[in-house]
Amino acid sequence: MNLLLDIIVTNGLFFDALGIIGLGILALSAVRLVKNDQSWGGTMMGFGAVALLVARLHILLAPQYVDTDFLHTIGPLGIALMEGLPPLLLTFGLAGVVWGLWGHEKWLKEN
Amino acid sequence: MCLHSLSPIASIEATRPVFLIVMGVFLLIIAWRMAKEAEGWSARLMMAGALMLCFGYAVLVPLYEAEIIEKFHPRAQLHDPASALGWHAVKLVVMNAGWLIMGLGLGLHSGLIRIPAALKISKPRAISTHESIA
Repeated sequence: MNLLLDIIVTNGLFFDALGIIGLGILALSAVRLVKNDQSWGGTMMGFGAVALLVARLHILLAPQYVDTDFLHTIGPLGIALMEGLPPLLLTFGLAGVVWGLWGHEKWLKEN
Repeated sequence: MCLHSLSPIASIEATRPVFLIVMGVFLLIIAWRMAKEAEGWSARLMMAGALMLCFGYAVLVPLYEAEIIEKFHPRAQLHDPASALGWHAVKLVVMNAGWLIMGLGLGLHSGLIRIPAALKISKPRAISTHESIA
């Protein structure tokens, strides 16, 4: 395998960590925008970034804690939620970030 | 590549990919408009991040969902392992570095992060009328 490809694929966790750090910074910036500038877009952006962060963390960490005992404990409803929630959070998280960014851009124009 | 495997654009299965395409393009447009107001590294980073995310959400994810690009897995029997691996690497870089760069750009914009002095763009100093040019 090509050395560069090898590095990229074997360090998948490193790249995922970069994405999670980025989303964390995005959420913190959104909180700061709300606190300092009272920009309403920041609230939506913060919610969106946290939703994306939670879904990504779940997808990354699920192999560590999901086993047959865990699935037995949470029951069928829990399993359905565990399968259905991450795509929903990923989709609406992105929508939240985009909506929040739009709101902030509008707020910037107004002020 | 088979185009007939693309699900009709208005079907229920296509809702999520189409939504992601719209969001990706919208993200790029808004970042573009914001970059006009902002200046320096914050605008550059936001635009770079938005371009990467737009490519990821508007092109890569729908292609994955339409199964035109195969999902890469080290032990899976793939039709074309080399191209699956290549696209996997592109997706890893674009979707993660995109969020990181976008986050850094917005962090600079909101004042959460300060620009290192070495990266500051120095504005050309206007020559005062009282100063000798020679």
